[in-house]
Amino acid sequence: MSTTVTAPLATGATSATGSALAASSKFKAFATTFSITGPVAYCLTVYMNWPVFTYFPATGRFYWGLEGVQPSQGPNMLWYGWTLTTILIAAALGVIAMMLPERVSRKLPLFLVWLFPILSIPFVVYSLMFWWRLAMQE
Amino acid sequence: MTSPISTSNVFWTIWLFVHLILALGLLGALTHQAMAVALPVRQPAGGIVSRFRAVSAPSYATAVCVLWVLTFLVGSFIYTSYRINIRIPLEQGHYFKTGGFFDFKEHVATLGLVLLPAYWFFWKNAQNPEYDNARKGVTLVLAVMCWFLFIVGHVLNNTRGFGA
Repeated sequence: MSTTVTAPLATGATSATGSALAASSKFKAFATTFSITGPVAYCLTVYMNWPVFTYFPATGRFYWGLEGVQPSQGPNMLWYGWTLTTILIAAALGVIAMMLPERVSRKLPLFLVWLFPILSIPFVVYSLMFWWRLAMQE
Repeated sequence: MTSPISTSNVFWTIWLFVHLILALGLLGALTHQAMAVALPVRQPAGGIVSRFRAVSAPSYATAVCVLWVLTFLVGSFIYTSYRINIRIPLEQGHYFKTGGFFDFKEHVATLGLVLLPAYWFFWKNAQNPEYDNARKGVTLVLAVMCWFLFIVGHVLNNTRGFGA
């Protein structure tokens, strides 16, 4: 006779909440599309260097789009702009997915949500090649 | 009397500490959840490891999202000081691997951020077996990311923390 409990205790056998948002098929289309396209959009944004804005921390100044390093302003920071570009692209694609019929949006393979961020890692490591090259020269 | 520089150091050290506390909460919640999905407990009670795995994982989802966003925002704020006061000395000291890993960390933090909507949705529909594999995958990816972010941040702080 088995002494084990048939229903898993910890894997989420019961619903955490009955929130309307979590039950919405439109939100499902938005959330899954946002998360699937987010890592791809981020890699594309970094590769193409498309920040929405550039920030200069030494002077506290913001500039729209990409602004190169200026000796009078100190180093520039692009990561904030890249992150915002990614969020805007992923959100726009998520909104488009919400407008599609459910039979279309349901076909989105859900495993891409965890696969794309893993596949993004080699690109991210490659994008930091200047650091690794400098380290190799030591 | 306190000099402006030490006041500034105290200011950033407090924010770094807030970042650490938020990160610790996030790390704990995600590790519990990851253990719960990777090694689900099918029998109540047991030892400390079983109890660690036997948490009600779905109840952590919203907290994880909120903590990830808050940790991300506080980290983004500290990053402005890092770029001037920490990264430049790191480069001058030829700590290139450390600088590279910090940039790696910032990329991973954003990649994790964009996973949160699907992660939250999968956990809020934990009763639906259709999402089991995706929920398990995204939770494990987020947990690995969180451990990576935490370790890199910790090592970087040891290399040149804000009090340095």
